[in-house]
Amino acid sequence: MKWRLIALIVGALAILAGAVLIAHASPLASLQSLFHGSLGTPVAIAGTLKETTPLLICGLAVFIALRAGLFNIGVEGQLLVGACTCGVVATKFHGITGMVLGVICGMIAGTLWALPAALIKAYRNGHEVITTIMLNNIAMLITSMLVSGPLKDKAQSDTATPYVDANTRLPWVYSNPPVQINLALVLGVLLCLGMAYWLKKTVGGYELQAVGANRTAARFAGISPQKVTMVAMSISGALGGLAGAVQVLAYEGRFYDGFSPGYGFDALGVALLAGGNALLVLPSSLLFGILSKGGTALQIDGIPKGITTVVLGLLILIAAAIRFRQVTKDA
Amino acid sequence: MLNLIELTILFSTPLILCAMGGFTSERGGVINIGLEGMMLMAACVGALVSARFGAVGELVAGIVAATVMSLLHWLMTQKYNLDHVISGMAINAIAAGGTNFLYLKLSDPAHGSNLPHLPITLFAITGIALPFILWLYSKRTRGGLWLMAVGSDPDKARLMGLQPSNVRLWGLLATGLFTGIAGVELVAYTGVFTDNMTSGRGYIALAALIIGGWRPIPAFIACVVFGFFSALRLQLQGTPLFGAELPPQIWASLPYLVTIVALAGLLGKNRTPAGLGRP
Amino acid sequence: MSFAVRLLGITKRFGSVTALDRVDLEVEQGAIHALVGENGAGKTTLMRVLYGALHADEGALELDGNAVRFNSSREAIAAGVGMVSQHYGIIPELTCLQNLILGAEGGPVLNGKVAEARAQQLAERMGFSFDWNADAATLSPASAQKLEILKLLWREARIMILDEPTAMLSPADSDALFESLEQLAKDGATIILVTHRLPEVLDHCSRVTVLRGGKRVDEKLVSTTNGPELAKMIVGEAIERYESEDCPSLGDAVLDLQSLTAKGARGDLALKEVCLNLKSGEMLGVAGVDGSGQRELFEVIAGLIKPISGSLQIVGNDGNNLGSWDRIEKGLRLIPEDRHAQGVVEEWSLDENAALGLQRLEPFAQKNLVDTDARKQMAGKIAERFKTKHGGLNLAMASLSGGNQQRFVAARSLCLNPKLILAFQPARGLDIKGTQQVYEGIREACRNGAAALIVSFDLDELLEQCDRIVAMNHGKLYEPQAGQSKDRDAIGRLMVGAQ
Repeated sequence: MKWRLIALIVGALAILAGAVLIAHASPLASLQSLFHGSLGTPVAIAGTLKETTPLLICGLAVFIALRAGLFNIGVEGQLLVGACTCGVVATKFHGITGMVLGVICGMIAGTLWALPAALIKAYRNGHEVITTIMLNNIAMLITSMLVSGPLKDKAQSDTATPYVDANTRLPWVYSNPPVQINLALVLGVLLCLGMAYWLKKTVGGYELQAVGANRTAARFAGISPQKVTMVAMSISGALGGLAGAVQVLAYEGRFYDGFSPGYGFDALGVALLAGGNALLVLPSSLLFGILSKGGTALQIDGIPKGITTVVLGLLILIAAAIRFRQVTKDA
Repeated sequence: MLNLIELTILFSTPLILCAMGGFTSERGGVINIGLEGMMLMAACVGALVSARFGAVGELVAGIVAATVMSLLHWLMTQKYNLDHVISGMAINAIAAGGTNFLYLKLSDPAHGSNLPHLPITLFAITGIALPFILWLYSKRTRGGLWLMAVGSDPDKARLMGLQPSNVRLWGLLATGLFTGIAGVELVAYTGVFTDNMTSGRGYIALAALIIGGWRPIPAFIACVVFGFFSALRLQLQGTPLFGAELPPQIWASLPYLVTIVALAGLLGKNRTPAGLGRP
Repeated sequence: MSFAVRLLGITKRFGSVTALDRVDLEVEQGAIHALVGENGAGKTTLMRVLYGALHADEGALELDGNAVRFNSSREAIAAGVGMVSQHYGIIPELTCLQNLILGAEGGPVLNGKVAEARAQQLAERMGFSFDWNADAATLSPASAQKLEILKLLWREARIMILDEPTAMLSPADSDALFESLEQLAKDGATIILVTHRLPEVLDHCSRVTVLRGGKRVDEKLVSTTNGPELAKMIVGEAIERYESEDCPSLGDAVLDLQSLTAKGARGDLALKEVCLNLKSGEMLGVAGVDGSGQRELFEVIAGLIKPISGSLQIVGNDGNNLGSWDRIEKGLRLIPEDRHAQGVVEEWSLDENAALGLQRLEPFAQKNLVDTDARKQMAGKIAERFKTKHGGLNLAMASLSGGNQQRFVAARSLCLNPKLILAFQPARGLDIKGTQQVYEGIREACRNGAAALIVSFDLDELLEQCDRIVAMNHGKLYEPQAGQSKDRDAIGRLMVGAQ
């Protein structure tokens, strides 16, 4: 399994190189730039890890839904409502209380945001892809409206909520500036381990994956697909909300217009690349983090950031094509 | 200052064209959430080519670009059996990144916004005529019947001698054509290509298609209604409505909300083609 | 007397299975000719050869005295052969007219008026009426059947094959259908009726050909035979009387159904007031032709379908309060009909599949935590029970052959103190030895206090293995009279509706 992942990465980088040539730059130099920009200096590494955190948590959100056979494209929206809610709650409450409440409220907001899609899928068989995308758009609009209006911090010129107190921020577990690793990342890693354990070692996880793998056989095994759909989408939404809340408490300190550069969408790629193993979400999100941070460095070199998105899209297609080959060979 | 009707036509045209592209794909059974990406690619490539080859070149190039994307979608879903949703999202990703890259690297700043374009009225007329043409096509031609048949039940259609993947090929070629025109229209109206200029229109068009029950004329009406509300929003911006000023985002949320309601089966019966997503 | 169709010496093999063995079929011009036999007798296979959907390995085909060879259904259709299959080919989302012309439109542009006029003409000739522009979803099964016949007429079929046309029809609708068929025959069409239902054969057909086990048993003029004789031919002569080895000692009722009525997938009544009582220690066989309601019976007992009326008691508990998992907890075990779609997850390992259907029970799980070691042990035991051939418990289920998958699924159902074993063709895909092993396993469970309900299309198998047998037909369940519970003739008659 591992060599396939490496082959994919190599392939993606090859495409990157080709595009770079179009941009009249040297592929080798650009490659160096990419790696240097993401992993070359302590600052870079810290930045990469920072990018990785929301990708990791959102990736887990999409992953668990995928395991149940569901496409939660709405993580972007769940992240936004989670972040917005947390941004408000964490300014009303302080210290550890503020943190905990902020996170919990963020998760609840995320779950609530996933609920309509979950219900429509479970009981009306309405495709969750469309409903979650629609909810995304509504979330973007509503949070934008709220943060420009009633939630706006009068003291700032930015369209943002007030800053959360310093003592309500998620602490750094390792801080030796410029290298800093936040509790948020640790939380993400723990969640990943927890999810892997839950899927492999609990009856709930077993039944969820059964529904995703063979809905009919799951029914004959006494499992209720509707219940599993509701549970999976709720957890997924909660994780999306958590990602947003954590983003506020760890890195941003407030919620603002344009909060997410598309973490929720990238998360789909993260989850797809991880395949069937929850633990692989870790390296997958790291890869996306590298490409994201490195992409910024490339931009400075004159290579538009868009190239990384292209690579990621191609990665998804290639990964799926490879899996297809695999399945048809086994059959 | 354009009046409300002109604004409505302006806003609905790209939606209509895109929705028709969605129709030829989805009514044949291919889930297509990549309309956004196809339109975007068309807009970008069109704008790039326009500088060198004029307005007609822009249209042709845009159509070709969108068609390449739609054929990729056909290939991945029909030949590689990739999940339709994943394929659509990948196409959107490739388009988003690709257009960003292509435009920044290949555009000639000297031309700026003095690019030649076809007149908007041409697009508008196409937008109004197309739904009716497609409606006639689906009712009165063999090809149209085949499209509906493979979208409703590909297995039974096979029993009757049809080949779903071939029928869908034609459907997706049409999708490329229509979304290509839609993308070029966007550029023609704004004058230049800007990053991510489709800003969700592809999804709204899909929403309109769904609300219209995957039928050309109702989808057309839905697009016009969406366009109308966009136009209204523009006109009313700043003026109080019913005593309170409704933020523009509430208006903008309406199409999405209505789509969810439609999918929940609350807007009449669920008309999802039974063969959507089936090989 | 001229023959419209002659199939001579048709032989067809699928791998090592001979589905048709030198079968002859001669159908007179203008006749309604019945082709009868049990499931697996070869009726549908033979017709698919005629329809061009299958190539025969040996044999010849003649239409109106001319030798023909069909390479595809298209050629058969062009030659005037049409088939209406069991599972209707009507697409509900299209209109009646669209369904009628699909695949035979006559040109790239459709002329609605012309088509409708012709359709109306054909319909009137048969005494049918359709709202041509209504969605086909609104059609009742009887009307859908009529539309299928019109499809044949539209394509100018002169030889019409109808495969189980009355499977979904009420007696009144069946009568109407046969009126139409007789009209068609009068107009010159030749009709081959594939059916299990003897009353239809006796009332409406002129000749009948009986197939059994891929061979042609006999062909008779309907006027010279009767129900019991035909039933005997279909079901075969008993070489020896089947008797169970010992009389099982029966305990309490494990399953009790009273007047159970349930709807099938199409919304029709699939179970009609079924009454059934099963005591622990018993192995009950449910015989019947495919589509008589066995599937729905299976799913109602499993808790997957809710009945409309009647009562169901499982191990003393009211079914209304028991969901599908609750029943498993009370001791229900399933051997589903389709192991691939309903019994296993192909991508998962044998280890993981071992728990499917038992996942919350100890030792597979201890209070919501999966005990992977115990599961592995159980998987090993399950594989060992019927000597499932596999390459390793951690390999995917897909790596097993069909027969071995069946062994695994059957063994799994005998785990952890079963109280009620529901089996649908438990020995599907198994050779004689494998079949014996599986049934012996079920019998042993019954000796230990379980009860088993076994659905099968193979009457011989049921006669050999079960203690008593009931028959299903058209959604109703029939018990043979006292003393005849293992009487092949009696059961055969109940199965095909011949009294």
